[in-house]
Amino acid sequence: MTRINKQKPGKIVKPGEDFEPWESHNPVPLPVIWIAVALGIWGTALLLQEQDSKVVAQAEREAGEAAAHDAAEGGAALFLANCSTCHQPNGAGVRLAVPPLQDSEFAKAGPGVVAQILLRGIDGPIRVKGFTYDGHMPSFAEALDDAEVAQLASYVGARFGGGETVLAPAEVAQLRMTHSGSGSWQGGAELASLVADLPPQPPMPATAEAGLDPAISDLIFAGKGDVWSCASCHGGLGQGAENTPRLAGLSQGYITKQLHDFRQGERHNEHMSFVAKGLDDAEIDGLAAYYAGLRVDSTAQPALGGDLARGEQIALQGDWGLGVPACFSCHGPSGFGVGAEFPALAAQQPAYVASQLAAWAGGHRNNSPLGLMDRISEALPEADRRAVSDYLASLPAVPAPEPQAMARIEGGEDEL
Amino acid sequence: MNRYLPLVLIALGILAFATLMLVIAPGVQIAQHAVPKGLNPYSEQESRGREQYVSLGCVYCHSQQPRSPDQAPDVERGWGRPSVAGDYVFDQPHQLGTMRTGPDLLNVGVRLPSESWHLTHLYQPRAIFGWSIMPAYPYLFEEKAEAGPEDTVVVLPKGFGPESGVVVARQAALDLTAYLLALDRTYPVPEDALRDDGYADRESGS
Repeated sequence: MTRINKQKPGKIVKPGEDFEPWESHNPVPLPVIWIAVALGIWGTALLLQEQDSKVVAQAEREAGEAAAHDAAEGGAALFLANCSTCHQPNGAGVRLAVPPLQDSEFAKAGPGVVAQILLRGIDGPIRVKGFTYDGHMPSFAEALDDAEVAQLASYVGARFGGGETVLAPAEVAQLRMTHSGSGSWQGGAELASLVADLPPQPPMPATAEAGLDPAISDLIFAGKGDVWSCASCHGGLGQGAENTPRLAGLSQGYITKQLHDFRQGERHNEHMSFVAKGLDDAEIDGLAAYYAGLRVDSTAQPALGGDLARGEQIALQGDWGLGVPACFSCHGPSGFGVGAEFPALAAQQPAYVASQLAAWAGGHRNNSPLGLMDRISEALPEADRRAVSDYLASLPAVPAPEPQAMARIEGGEDEL
Repeated sequence: MNRYLPLVLIALGILAFATLMLVIAPGVQIAQHAVPKGLNPYSEQESRGREQYVSLGCVYCHSQQPRSPDQAPDVERGWGRPSVAGDYVFDQPHQLGTMRTGPDLLNVGVRLPSESWHLTHLYQPRAIFGWSIMPAYPYLFEEKAEAGPEDTVVVLPKGFGPESGVVVARQAALDLTAYLLALDRTYPVPEDALRDDGYADRESGS
């Protein structure tokens, strides 16, 4: 415009009829080329630099995976990872709940006895150092291999029993063969056959063999007119999958309360409200009793990519920086559950635990006593919720009160 | 502008380069990987169900690609681990989907393993979720006065079924359910799976 304004009106040359506009050859200014080349070099350099960073990231992930897979080395590390949760890092146990290892008759009996207890676990009352304990110790036969059991048993025998015997992996393999499929030790009474000079052990309480009501059995495996069968989602053995929870081993009071809450709308889940509305009180009680008595090996695996060490820290010690208490301070040692209010957490499906923590944090579940879980879940960051869910999934399931009650899932597939 | 030959050559060159980088190179990269352990080909019935899935347009509302925790809270929703390329080896055409009007379905067979649940839900989603906006598929079912010995009766609460008689599933509904129950990518990620590790955190000194 400015140029036209400067010209006098009479001097405008009108193009002729056959005028063709053209563009003269104007080369790109040299500085622009230099800038483009410089940008190109810079971009390539950045790309190569990031390539290094990508390799490092991949190595970090692989190292993390390897660390999660490889067991800790040495008896002390194995003890801290597997035993100290209940028996405490100093082996003193928990008064009236978990027997001490320090100077106990069983640790003194040598690593062979310790290894046999590790391989089978204990159920039923046991008398250690003058006190009777009635708890459950899970079997570590699946969790630890022969070399690890040998290391751990030798360590426990030496540290708490004062012995010097060292167990060889081959001996453990032998013991594993002998004891395979025999279920857990039935309290101190059965262990007395293993350890000489044991003080008198309390007798095993008689267990009543209650048959399953056919009506309840139908409900579990076939459903009825307006209710799907329990097993169709929770699995034939109540083992759960993904965010369908494991029911086997939850306490009767807890299952009853949850079903009532679903029916009355205190706990929100469309699937379960649908089912609970079709159940009467007697059916709820029957189902709760069935699942509370059911014992199944863990099928849960850490699957959420959580940091297991962090999860263990939250479960065992909590994080008071966030105001989060240890899970096990309420849910019992090893997360086996306490009463009707604190369900078993060990071997629960990780996606389920994470989804419930998220639901509490987001206000979608609010049937926790005193709102305890609401506050705890709100305080936990998302990564911690995954970490603790994965850690709980890595724990062994609530053990069987009797060997025949242990249903097994062969090859990861149930029959139904 | 009359030098057509160089123009066409350059255009074809760019196209060839893009094809090489976006189609051929990834194809070669993926072909080097074996079928993941734990993934089975679809059975005949499941394949028929898959055809139903495709023809009913489930993909318009349901994705089949759980994302990693740093992209979306999919694992907390119980949708399963982030998928890898190998998970789709039997899916032709893939049903990845882009819309998440409904939940991701790549692991629905694990999350909701109940056949009778799926039949109820396909017949009338609102029988379970009062707020659901998923269409009902009553034409996959038929009403009968009485169920035959081979029939699969749909579990329905009062008010959702017919006045009298029962609702039984047609073959199409059974096939579709079989396909949904077969959707399970919860096996561990193969060691050599292609995946995106992102970049290392610069502040952690790497």
